[in-house]
Amino acid sequence: MKSKLVSLVLLAGGVLGALGAAESAPAPCCDPAKPAAAACCAPEKPAATLAPCCVEEKPDKPLTDRSLYQHDAVWTSDAGRPVKLASLRGQPVIVAMFFASCEYACPVLVKDVQRARDLLAPEVRAKTKVLLVTFDTARDTPPALRAFRERFELDENWVLLRGADTAVQDLAMLLGVKYKLDARGQYSHSNLMTVLNHEGEIAHQHAGLMGDVSEVAKKIAGLKSGI
Amino acid sequence: MNTLLRLPGLVHLALAAAALGLVARPGLRAEDAVGMVLIPAGVYEPILRGQDEPAKVPVAPFLLDVRPVTNAEFLAFVQANPKWRRSKVGPLFADPGYLSHWAGDLELGPRAPADAPVVRVSWFAARAYAAAQGKRLPTTAEWERAAAVGFTQEKGTDEPAYRQAALGWLARPSPATLPPAGRGRPNLHGARDLLDLVWEWVDDFNTAMTTGESRGDTGLERMQFCGAGAAGARDLTNYPAFMRAGMRSSLLARYVVPNLGFRCAQLP
Repeated sequence: MKSKLVSLVLLAGGVLGALGAAESAPAPCCDPAKPAAAACCAPEKPAATLAPCCVEEKPDKPLTDRSLYQHDAVWTSDAGRPVKLASLRGQPVIVAMFFASCEYACPVLVKDVQRARDLLAPEVRAKTKVLLVTFDTARDTPPALRAFRERFELDENWVLLRGADTAVQDLAMLLGVKYKLDARGQYSHSNLMTVLNHEGEIAHQHAGLMGDVSEVAKKIAGLKSGI
Repeated sequence: MNTLLRLPGLVHLALAAAALGLVARPGLRAEDAVGMVLIPAGVYEPILRGQDEPAKVPVAPFLLDVRPVTNAEFLAFVQANPKWRRSKVGPLFADPGYLSHWAGDLELGPRAPADAPVVRVSWFAARAYAAAQGKRLPTTAEWERAAAVGFTQEKGTDEPAYRQAALGWLARPSPATLPPAGRGRPNLHGARDLLDLVWEWVDDFNTAMTTGESRGDTGLERMQFCGAGAAGARDLTNYPAFMRAGMRSSLLARYVVPNLGFRCAQLP
């Protein structure tokens, strides 16, 4: 598993190149002029030294066996760019699954995440990403996700992704999120906020809506960078 | 090309192509490791459902393994796929009890007879096994549609022998060493062991909701209390189906359980 993942990271540039996603350096998602893609880049490094799509942030250190970043599907951001979860490595991440046409729970879930972020010290908040992954592989196209970002005024620390059905199912299984498409086209789903540490391991989970999110903030503040 | 195949999406495509090209046909074939039976188009009637969910869900025809996957078959799979061996599998994909009743990484031993259903496998492992056969796990609707079939007629709950098989299994603790798979009485469509051998993984087990969901629908809420929930269920003679729904809702994909196995399905 580990060795395969390492080779995956090393090969990712070639893979994306083969798919026609990266035609020239720097790759689209590393373009410093496109702030919406910041999450998949390592901001402290100059873009010129980054490989296509910046996935090999720490190529010499394999992922831990509890890292969700072993989930190596290629997702699409609301800016239409290819993203791997492992590109979020190196900082705390709050993950939630949602869908953009959600009538009730998802807006509340977003507010809950915002409340948790507001409890963080500014310097921690600036280094904490939020990852929202949609269940709705049919309707949540990049433009639909962009509209969601605009509607909730989500800044560049929020990463909005869509993926293949199997990728969504895998991520839900790894997070323990239950979901189901009902007859009206709405998804019933767990309202679950997951904190990932710098290595992508689950550090904390918060279930339910409109609850006390102080524990989420406390866990994030207590996370130490292991790399 | 090798790099392309490492992309999961493309791997799925490749597997789907393999499934279409190599194994897509109805009925039985002698070279199949395990026979499959055709479950004709039918209806799944969820035992518990949300207020907006239909009482009857149509299920397209599909092929289902005659019986659950055995220890011998799963051993062949881990021999060919080292990452699913007991010593190799990561904690994200299977809890520590994974295949713990086997004598070793590649040795079954006395507690895991070759022809007994494999248990203590996670959903991730079960799905990987199915994919390696060019198959997939059945959905909840498919599995329940197949399990609702009686020995001599479509509607099993009308049959005393069916009810007795299903309820009798729930009344007995599972033995430490499981009996062979494939010996159970076949149902009308030829599938065996659906009622009284092991619980079985389904692909979408995580659609079974308990509490803490976005829609607090009382029918679903009651699922956390088995007895109380059964009182609100639609069909009181189908207590086993209710128990299965409760079982599914309690699982996470990495869980391993001493009497939870699986079988595979595919489109005809």
